[in-house]
Amino acid sequence: MSADTKFHMHHDSPEQVGRRERLGVRLLIVADGAFVFGMIFSYFYLRNLNANNGWIPKGGHHLAASTGWVIVLPLIVAAIVHKLGSRQMASFKNISIITLIALIVGLYLQWKQLAHMPFQVDGDSGKVFGFEGSYSSSWVLIAGANMFHYILATFISLGLVIRARRAEVDPILEKWRLRTAGSWFTWIAISGIACAITTSII
Amino acid sequence: MAPTPGEKLTNFFKRRDVIIASALGVAITALTVIIGGWWYTKWMPTALSTDMKSIERLMVIFTWISAPVCGTVVAITLYTFFNRHKGDTPPEDGPAIRTRGPIVILWSVVSSMLCLVAVVYGLIELNSAEGKAQADAPHAMIVEVTGNQWVWNFHYPAQDVTTDKLMLPINQPVEFRIISADVNHSFWPVQLGVKADANRYQVTLADTTPNKLGTIDVKCAELCGLYHAYMETTGAVTTRADFNNWVTAQGGHTA
Amino acid sequence: MTTLDHHATTRPIPNPKKSLITKLNMGTGMVVGIIFALATYYLINPHVDQSVAQEYNRQLLATMFMWSLGFMIGIGAFIGPFRWLIGKDLTDEENLYLAGDGQGIKRYFKYCTDHKVVGIQYLVGVMTMLGVGGTLAMMIRTNLIMPGSKFVSPIIYNSLVGLHGITMIIAMIIVATGPFGNYIMPIMIGAADMAFPRLNALSWWVLFTAIPVLCSAWFLGGIPTGWTAYAPLSVQAGPGMNAFIATIIIFAISTAVAGANITATVVAMRAKGMSWNRVPIFVVGATVSVALAIPAFPTFMVSMIMTGLDRTFATTFFDANFGGSGWLYAHLFWIMGHPEVYVILIPGVAALMEIAPVFVRKPLFSYNAAIMGFAGIAGLSVLVWAHHMYMSGWMPMLNGPFMVTTEMISVPTGLIFLVLLGTLWRGRPWMKLPMLGVYAFLWNMLVGGITGLYLSDVPADNYLHGSMYVTAHFHYTLMGAALTGALAGLAFWFPKMTGRMLNERAGYISFWFVQIGFQILFLGMFIAGAEGQPRRVSDYAKTFATSNMVSTIGAYMIGIGMIVLLWAVVHSWRFGKIAPMNPWGSKTLEWTVPYPVPLVNFDTPPVVTSDFYGYGKAEK
Repeated sequence: MSADTKFHMHHDSPEQVGRRERLGVRLLIVADGAFVFGMIFSYFYLRNLNANNGWIPKGGHHLAASTGWVIVLPLIVAAIVHKLGSRQMASFKNISIITLIALIVGLYLQWKQLAHMPFQVDGDSGKVFGFEGSYSSSWVLIAGANMFHYILATFISLGLVIRARRAEVDPILEKWRLRTAGSWFTWIAISGIACAITTSII
Repeated sequence: MAPTPGEKLTNFFKRRDVIIASALGVAITALTVIIGGWWYTKWMPTALSTDMKSIERLMVIFTWISAPVCGTVVAITLYTFFNRHKGDTPPEDGPAIRTRGPIVILWSVVSSMLCLVAVVYGLIELNSAEGKAQADAPHAMIVEVTGNQWVWNFHYPAQDVTTDKLMLPINQPVEFRIISADVNHSFWPVQLGVKADANRYQVTLADTTPNKLGTIDVKCAELCGLYHAYMETTGAVTTRADFNNWVTAQGGHTA
Repeated sequence: MTTLDHHATTRPIPNPKKSLITKLNMGTGMVVGIIFALATYYLINPHVDQSVAQEYNRQLLATMFMWSLGFMIGIGAFIGPFRWLIGKDLTDEENLYLAGDGQGIKRYFKYCTDHKVVGIQYLVGVMTMLGVGGTLAMMIRTNLIMPGSKFVSPIIYNSLVGLHGITMIIAMIIVATGPFGNYIMPIMIGAADMAFPRLNALSWWVLFTAIPVLCSAWFLGGIPTGWTAYAPLSVQAGPGMNAFIATIIIFAISTAVAGANITATVVAMRAKGMSWNRVPIFVVGATVSVALAIPAFPTFMVSMIMTGLDRTFATTFFDANFGGSGWLYAHLFWIMGHPEVYVILIPGVAALMEIAPVFVRKPLFSYNAAIMGFAGIAGLSVLVWAHHMYMSGWMPMLNGPFMVTTEMISVPTGLIFLVLLGTLWRGRPWMKLPMLGVYAFLWNMLVGGITGLYLSDVPADNYLHGSMYVTAHFHYTLMGAALTGALAGLAFWFPKMTGRMLNERAGYISFWFVQIGFQILFLGMFIAGAEGQPRRVSDYAKTFATSNMVSTIGAYMIGIGMIVLLWAVVHSWRFGKIAPMNPWGSKTLEWTVPYPVPLVNFDTPPVVTSDFYGYGKAEK
């Protein structure tokens, strides 16, 4: 075989590549969805079981329902802005920054929440932080997963912002990439809403 | 002129391979039925309760249900195995049978029916066990079983006895209330046909009525750490009088 | 054709001095990984009191994940994403370099995107894991040869059981979809490569980083919980448990990536004309398997993250004192765990369905029944998890429904038998090594299936649950059925993957040793279970002495057989008879390409005009 046949490997049309990439991302979203399902399932399972009255033990704390929703808002903003912005490649260059800023704000808020959660009961030694019960444990896990979503989304958004400013990117393929990224943004907004609904039910 | 379905069927059963395979199938089914009748009972320990007896019966009946499947599969495999092609070159092509609709349907229906029999039988057994448990509950003797790493403890609240030997009077319904002091265990008095996990802070119920005198081996059936293998004790099904004597000897009081 | 045709005239050679990707390989990965691990360990060390379990766990887990991360950085896994981030996508020259073009044996030690290289990497990796797991099994059986636990202490025994379990489970999950799913499957569907070649390399090398992590368990006190790692036992277990947690989390990432990749490849990259009813059955099986794994494994990952958090930060997911529950763990574990056994089984079965028509020279009997069987098994498998929890007491009233769903699985499983038996019937099978696998499978799966029937029944499970009977049952399905299928696949595709024929005589010797030993081993174990011996015990009463002795003899026979097989594979790989292009006369596409398979598999993309089972004379 000759060098040029080799060279055509993977050079399907941008549509084919784009469709394939979107399919791949959607499959990974299924995996992530199972993860989120596992967390929400655990939350309600432990809540209903309330073993040894330890969901929120006597004298324990819980967070306001709004705590979870604060985190979701930037996600929703990011997803909608991205969706609207990616319709026009020309304007996406500027609009994409809004998505990025929303995500960074959300990331910061999520980090603040995780760092300042009112669950440390073991204040004296300052070494081990304790969790009061299964509510606080489940809450922290969900917040951690949101954090992971945020980090990935911020990475993607940052990439899209930079790439929108570079000329050598294949525009047709890039349009597909925007849609693919949009799948992810939409999904994390949905999962964020699901998690916020979950943590609203204390 | 095309043969009628009836003729087709007659011709089918006149074929050499069909005759041999059917004969093999019938023979293997019969063999499975015969062996299945005693196989499990031979190995399983003496049943000391009706629960254990019904488990033994269930194993036999399930073996019988699967016997025709076993007969069919083994007959066809054996027949084709002995009919194999020898040599280093690929054999001639066989008949290009893509599918046979009626066979697929027949197979699905028969296997579904067999499955249905197993399901229904299992559900009936399960139901009757639950019904019996409910009927027995009011006059059952309560035994609180606690799994610790790596010993079993038995507390008889009515008799006020705590012990590490499981003693049960014959023909007395008994309700086990099982709990763990640490990790998960699984309470398994082998000869009684009872098994239930011991969880922390969650009582698991199990019940049975011993109906035969004999010794009981109590084991742990859930990996629970270092000495899981040694987390066992013994016990016995005794007469009411012997049980009362034992309770008195342990410092408890008989009702 | 594409926008990049103008490049095609010159053969691009990347400048070896300039480009970073030419310098990275497994060695640099190891170096960076070890540096990351050591740096993490010693940077945390001053802040950690190792006698406090939680702090030590934190240190160890961080070290393990940083090793994995460091290795991936060192081997160049993140070059692609980074270049994407800064808007300088990898050029075609670089992609070609990553595919390992013209790099000979070196590409097997690189972040190579060629699916054939990844397939061989998986094959070697799987064989290594099976070897390790098998050795552990031999040690377990040696200790059980007579009552009294004469050879190892309980703590070592428990570690052996845990390590054997998890090593084998991981090996079995990838045993068919790893080597054959990566090497053979893309050629089978007429694709040039996988849908996402870089992700393909990622899935293998991420998995590779899990191997040293898992091995480290041995030096950290072992995995004393069995492969199920039930909480709260796993929370209180020693530092070795961290290796288990890290391994599973890494493995789950690898599986999700590989699963998405294989599924997308089959959905989007089939050759022209390969409509869904023409897809070879192995491809269908592999796809069903990995597609089932995509939603299944994340719940295992959740449960492991929870265990990790319980162990490191004193959360209380599984601590019943503070509202946690061991049942939660069991649910999450088995929601993954039961689909997972079919993830293991289906590709093995599908490989045998691919083999049978070739050697019987008849079409696959009722392709549709095979599809329905796979779909039925996959669909039902997510509804049966609680049959592992009949005795746990979590909700006895649901035992009935779960019993029904579980027993219903016997119907689609029956269809799989029908397909294989229908293919055999009226044929004269050519009894080569792969074909023997079909026979072994039919017998082993028959035993495994029937014994599963007793276990699915709640009253019978009262007796059998947690006994050696269960162990024997799932070894019949996982080893007797799935591993047999995968080994038959190895014998079948060995000529395509190595260019040489597998030594036949050694293959037969190995086959009969393994299969006969297998029957002896697990016959003994079924009896021990029926007699009432719990599983995972290092010691047992004298009552069980005979059955255990029988089992151990069988195990040694398997051991001998497997060593012969290993010799056969290694020897044939180097010195075997050169294989013709299509030694078995198969009709599928992978036999239309020469060995070594060209980089893009096909000079001209194939066009499919019929399915691949057109064997046989027209019926009279």
